[in-house]
Amino acid sequence: MTRTPKGAELEDKSFCWDDRVQPGRVHRSLYVDREVFDLEQRRIFGATWIYLAHESELAESDTFVARRLGPRPIIVTRDHKGMLHALINRCTHRGAAVCRATAGKARYFTCGYHGWTFSNDGACVDIPLDDAYGPAFEKRDRNLGRVPFLATYRGFIFGTLNPKKGEQPLTDHLGPAADRIDEWIAHNGGDHTKIRVAGAQRFLVNGNWKCIYDNAGDGYHPEYSHQSLLRMTQERHGEGMDLDYFAGGIDATPMYSQALGNGHTFIDQRPCMFESSVFDRQRPQPGREAVAAELIRDVGEQRAKAQLETVPGAGMNLSIFPSLLFIGNQFQVITPLAVDRTDLSWFATSRDDMPSGVNTLRLRTQEDFPMFGEVDDNANFESCFDGMAVPEMEWVDISRHLHTGVEKVDEAGVVTAPVSSDLHMRSYYKEWKRLMSSEPELVLG
Amino acid sequence: MNSSISRDPSHDSSYVDDALYARLVALATDWQSRSVIKRDERPINEIAADCTALINAEVRFADSLELESWIACYAPECIYWIPASYGGGDPRQEITHEIHDRRRLEDRIARIRTGFAYSMVPPVRTTHVLGNFEMWSLEAKEVRARANFIIDAVNNDRRRVLSGWIGYSLVDVDHQWRIAVKQINLIDADQPQGNNSFFL
Ligand code: FES
Ligand SMILES: [Fe+2]
Repeated sequence: MTRTPKGAELEDKSFCWDDRVQPGRVHRSLYVDREVFDLEQRRIFGATWIYLAHESELAESDTFVARRLGPRPIIVTRDHKGMLHALINRCTHRGAAVCRATAGKARYFTCGYHGWTFSNDGACVDIPLDDAYGPAFEKRDRNLGRVPFLATYRGFIFGTLNPKKGEQPLTDHLGPAADRIDEWIAHNGGDHTKIRVAGAQRFLVNGNWKCIYDNAGDGYHPEYSHQSLLRMTQERHGEGMDLDYFAGGIDATPMYSQALGNGHTFIDQRPCMFESSVFDRQRPQPGREAVAAELIRDVGEQRAKAQLETVPGAGMNLSIFPSLLFIGNQFQVITPLAVDRTDLSWFATSRDDMPSGVNTLRLRTQEDFPMFGEVDDNANFESCFDGMAVPEMEWVDISRHLHTGVEKVDEAGVVTAPVSSDLHMRSYYKEWKRLMSSEPELVLG
Repeated sequence: MNSSISRDPSHDSSYVDDALYARLVALATDWQSRSVIKRDERPINEIAADCTALINAEVRFADSLELESWIACYAPECIYWIPASYGGGDPRQEITHEIHDRRRLEDRIARIRTGFAYSMVPPVRTTHVLGNFEMWSLEAKEVRARANFIIDAVNNDRRRVLSGWIGYSLVDVDHQWRIAVKQINLIDADQPQGNNSFFL
């Protein structure tokens, strides 16, 4: 049995993960060990670019949203000059949260405990009775901790505590995944400033965050995990609807899976999804009839059709390691809360360049899959996590298409494989292992 | 909502239009803001008794998974709504946890009935407890109501308690009271939810 490594041993720089991340399998300790989880919070969630918030959530000056960077509670703010900041929501006095709302408008945050006050750019601006701290005391030494490196790609705000990562452009980190984000935006009209977050459906999953991430590029599961959705759709609405193309022999379809480097991956459903009108084949969502009729009346049949084709989704499953997943017209954010507890939030989007009816139908579509499909996946993630508790069964299989010799690599290093491949897991675990093998010098600005 | 049905709402949801959404937002405001129910706004006892019986039967059928009887508690043109922000918001502009017309509610039942809905294998057992009923009626064929709820849910060894309040719009459909709109306001609507694949 592979011995479970313990604290000091894991911290040791020479510790090698090769015993636990093998070509076709990974060890259960990566999912169930608290010490591995704690290390991930520094070496993964501290050390690489992590998605924090979307610019549309901070459209006006003096707005904020509360998020987490691993275990660190943060507030992402836009100050009165329009600058973005990611501040650690921990009072520099004794640690209380300076902001206890999840989103809103504020120029200043006043700690509820002793009244220390910080402006939304992080500066400590007021300390009650501050003459008691001696002559050397400076308020500016008590500014809020901040995520020192922030970068935005097409509206998506990322941050990192790692100078080695932060001093490199975010686009270097995204690599070919940046082109895929552009394609997702092209599906959504091409102008990222017109894409707006329209709320979130949040799920609590009783399992390790990687149980969810494992699934993000898993083209193998839909026919089985989503069997209830596929069967119900056939029974009630006929053949050829929605995700029907996942049923039977998916590797013979033109869909494919890709590893884009730095742990990012992609599944392309577009060759099947857009083979014929996707709106015509969509399982009917609430309000479909009224929206379509109104649209045809207002903009004519041809434009109406084009607008309605954007409603069902982009047909792209793009996973930006370790926590941002594009799926449909939504994006998911994975926030690890504890080794066995994960917040999985689905952020819905609307488009400022679309008529309101199209956006309404788009929302009805976006909330459909979480309730008809994701619930079954979540049940399976939790069940996998439970199964990982068996000490004598140490391995999680990631060997699909490892030995079939069908992977292809292009000049840019992008690997393409059949859609049911475990390429996604193998590729992100390569990055995981790389990151987990060194201790970054993390800084707060 | 148009009570004269020209199309089968199990397969055609033409009734879900902008006017319906506007009505949902107005209802949500009424459920939340009505602090005092005047004497002359109370439904007569007989109607109040019918409506209370309907509200109780609906959650009993949800608990016993008699889903055909459960959906029969709803008007042909109905809405079942679980906001994802506390208090409701406007579903034209923000995502909900769930908002279904009859067609999608029937899809939801059919999905569970396939036997392959793994989030309901085994079926999540629930007990609804309703209380703090308040009812008012502003027009002849509609009764509005509010109730608080607690749902104890068991999924094998996992147990959860959900709570909050529900807003109802009940309508008279051919002399039977039916649920036209049920809005379920989870006390933690904006927080991460567990497996809510059953009917709240
Ligand atoms: S803990 Fe914030 S002012 Fe004391
Ligand atoms: Fe899935």
